[in-house]
Amino acid sequence: MQNRRLTVAAAIVLGSTLAAGAQDGLFAGKTIEVVVPFGEGGATFVSAKFLEPYLEKHLPGNPDLDVVSRPGGGSILGANWFEQNAKSDGTTILFTTSSTANPFVLGQKGVEYKLADYRVAYSHPFSAVAYVSPDTGVTSAAGIRDSSVPLIYGGIAAAASDLPGLLSFEVLDVDVKSVLGFNGRGPVRLAFEQGELNIDYQFTPVYLTQVVPSVAEGRAVPLWTGGAMEDGVLKARDPIAPELPSVYEVYEELNGKAPSGIEWDAFQGIASVTYAYGLTGYMHPDTPQEVLDAFAEAVAAINADPEFQEESQKVTNGARLNAGPDTEAAVKAALSPSAEVKDYLRNLLSSKFGVTF
Amino acid sequence: MIDNALIALEALFDPVRLAALFTGMIVGMVFGMLPGLGGVAAVSILLPFIYYLDPYSGLAMLLGAVSVVYTSDTITSVLIGAPGSPASAPTAIEGHALAKQGQASRALGVGFLASMVGGLTGAAILFVAIPVAGPIVLMLSTPELFMFALVGLYYAASMIGKDLAKGLAAACLGVLLGVVGPAQAAADFRYTFDQVYLLDGFSLTIVALGLFGVAEVISMLAAGGGISHERVKVDHWGEGFRDFWKAKWLVLRAAVIGVFGGFVPAVGASASTWVAYGHAIHSTKDKSRFGKGEIRGIAASEGANNATVISDLVPTLLFSVPGGPAAAIFLGALFSFGYYPGPRMITQNPDLMFLIVWSVALTSVVGAGLCFAITPALARLTRIPFAIIAAPLVLIMVIGAYQSTSTMGDIFMLFLLGGLGWLMKHGGWPRAPALVGFVLSGPMEQYFWLTNQIYGWSWLTRPGVLIIGSVIVIPMLISSVRWLRARGRKAEPAPENALPTLNAPSHGIALVLAAIVSVMFAYALWETFSFNPASRLMPGLAILPGLPLALYLLVRGARGYRNDFSRDANELWVLVALFLYAVAVWAIGLSLPTVALIAWMLLVKARMRIWTGLIYGTAVFAVIRLLFDLLRGDAPVGALIPFS
Repeated sequence: MQNRRLTVAAAIVLGSTLAAGAQDGLFAGKTIEVVVPFGEGGATFVSAKFLEPYLEKHLPGNPDLDVVSRPGGGSILGANWFEQNAKSDGTTILFTTSSTANPFVLGQKGVEYKLADYRVAYSHPFSAVAYVSPDTGVTSAAGIRDSSVPLIYGGIAAAASDLPGLLSFEVLDVDVKSVLGFNGRGPVRLAFEQGELNIDYQFTPVYLTQVVPSVAEGRAVPLWTGGAMEDGVLKARDPIAPELPSVYEVYEELNGKAPSGIEWDAFQGIASVTYAYGLTGYMHPDTPQEVLDAFAEAVAAINADPEFQEESQKVTNGARLNAGPDTEAAVKAALSPSAEVKDYLRNLLSSKFGVTF
Repeated sequence: MIDNALIALEALFDPVRLAALFTGMIVGMVFGMLPGLGGVAAVSILLPFIYYLDPYSGLAMLLGAVSVVYTSDTITSVLIGAPGSPASAPTAIEGHALAKQGQASRALGVGFLASMVGGLTGAAILFVAIPVAGPIVLMLSTPELFMFALVGLYYAASMIGKDLAKGLAAACLGVLLGVVGPAQAAADFRYTFDQVYLLDGFSLTIVALGLFGVAEVISMLAAGGGISHERVKVDHWGEGFRDFWKAKWLVLRAAVIGVFGGFVPAVGASASTWVAYGHAIHSTKDKSRFGKGEIRGIAASEGANNATVISDLVPTLLFSVPGGPAAAIFLGALFSFGYYPGPRMITQNPDLMFLIVWSVALTSVVGAGLCFAITPALARLTRIPFAIIAAPLVLIMVIGAYQSTSTMGDIFMLFLLGGLGWLMKHGGWPRAPALVGFVLSGPMEQYFWLTNQIYGWSWLTRPGVLIIGSVIVIPMLISSVRWLRARGRKAEPAPENALPTLNAPSHGIALVLAAIVSVMFAYALWETFSFNPASRLMPGLAILPGLPLALYLLVRGARGYRNDFSRDANELWVLVALFLYAVAVWAIGLSLPTVALIAWMLLVKARMRIWTGLIYGTAVFAVIRLLFDLLRGDAPVGALIPFS
């Protein structure tokens, strides 16, 4: 602000003709449309609203952000709209999750957007924690194969945001019956509370507000997290629950060696888009580097903003935003898996879950 | 607890908060009256503003909007016959029939009072039940939810009407419309024709608007410059008050149905309104007036839909599971204000829970009072030639439909389903069973599948399932005993517990409709073979009875065929014009076709004078563009000429 005031003052001194165009900042006087391809009130929409004031504050020129919801087709309609209408100056952002990425990676029908071509402006991690009911007799991640009752997992659809969870069961070779067809993770959580399901994954905000209290009351046993990126491998502990092992660690403990092979590659690819880069702001492929640099700087400033730190502590246990070339490279790599991994995923989904391509 | 309640009441009586509450209420009233726009639109239009307020004021504003929508939608439903929101479709059936008989004030009086009592009952039940609401929601597991859907279907059977074949075929058609989109059980997309638009299935708003709203507007436009119906007078409320008093226990029972409907996530207002309406039919001795203007039908459905408002919020607050789209937005607002709904909400934020109770209670009363006050003025509008009112209504429905995905698909689907609704109206097919079938097919399939996956067949012996099942079995036993006893005696004339159309159905249209529906069912049957077995169950339930019924109607229609298309030719042209409008919007964007449509409706259909038509038309167009902007949907841009 101080800086801006000085420049404005300088501009006034220079003369009024210059002043009009010389308000500093790339986005001065502009409105950035943030397209969320889900309904208003959903987790993605709420996260976009949560980030809105910080981006407005720290982006050069203090643009107005306008968060717009465009639901439909399991997020495909909103992403297709972005493909056709996005501007290439950074004033249209597609803010979305793996529900948009997975249909693209799997090459599903109706996908018109070329997600791997988009620029990545910023990204917010979205942790997921697996937990079981104490009725299973399981007390820690290592005991997951020794459940006294059959494990039942509830999900929405195999090819959407349930995919990394289902793949983690494949990696760990846990025998889980998957009941798909719920309306959302909320109803799944309710069915867990009612005792209909006994193993579940929940994402950050719900984990903190609902699962943590259940754990304290002895009605849930936390197992593991999806993990966090470290040197390009999804093996580090997730800051949301540093006391829990990552899927990588659980595999090591169960099998005595580091995970590898096609199951692991598939899990890591899908899980990193879902968790480590869970909420990502994409931009038009032709967006100039200058704009992306501005976002990277703004993200650094937001992460350092004490107000953001305080608020994010409450909502996400202090998760930080990511931006810059490394983040973009990692997201793009995850969006372009090898042909082998793609085949494995398509085979698994069609043979085990009846998905048709 | 009482302390918390009083603290919350005191907190609400802060002038800013009251102002926010009543501002929300007025927005909610306006949106409730606009067909197709309801709580969701009202809440999303208010959403950007609440962030300037303190949490209590912001939430009060949203609550004011959602809790009055089902009160003011009564006005549209009764006066025009197009449901103000999907949950008031029964009110549109009964109330509009009464309005045509010159009894609008009676229908509206009962509707407002039942709305108020429904809202108050919901608030009172929540007030008492806050400590036990959590366990109640937890008791309603998947098998119980399936049973609720089954109860809804059982009640829907009472809306079938006199012509059994047409009523059943309509219900099957509704179920078929409901299975379009993602299958619950396996990863199949059914009947999507590779259109991304259909991947989520049809939106309830568009189906309700299409089946009921568009057909009414077509009649209004065809009526042209004249006033075809009797003038609607709203003068004295006395009779309405007496009717309401007679139906007071029905209203209370309906409110309880609504409260339970709201507890069930994602079933909510529209399903419980139909259940309450079915209950009204069941519990009324003389069923002959249903469909022709039965005041008890209005009392029950308005009592129920207003009671769902608050109980929809219970799963939202206790388990973060929104009961409906408006509740989902409310949940988002709670997050933004730093409230994290969960099991601890009641102990951590008791004030907030009571704030909700008070807000809903207060707006229920004030909202109903305000509706009484403004209705006489609104009723005067019905003395204006219908075509003049229809012009903005058509476009408001387009905006309402466009809220679902903001793509051209919404507009096409509105008029396609409008065409279907129009054919049904004139072909003598009851539309209520179709809408109920549509509403229930999703939850029925989902809960049946989940139940069977989780429990096998052991769920049938769960106590909750048995209790809910008795709601169906006991009345069936009683009526079969009655039937057995009555068998010896002389046959009574069949009770007309029906929704007959007011005019005799057209033979030609009935034949066309039977042919279209037969083709739909036949195609659906063919595509079913490509699904996973688990995804075939629900379409099968629609097709197996639906296809033979449609074919039977086709044969019956062909035998009794008479060329009587000319009778409805006037309306048919309006329908064609609306289709042309949709295609034109797709091709050259919103503005030009809208101007042309307004001009055609006002100058040709309503025969307005050039200058008054010009002024009025400009105003209508400005309001439509403003609404598009306010609702943050960018108007459709032409595919051939990129102009909006």
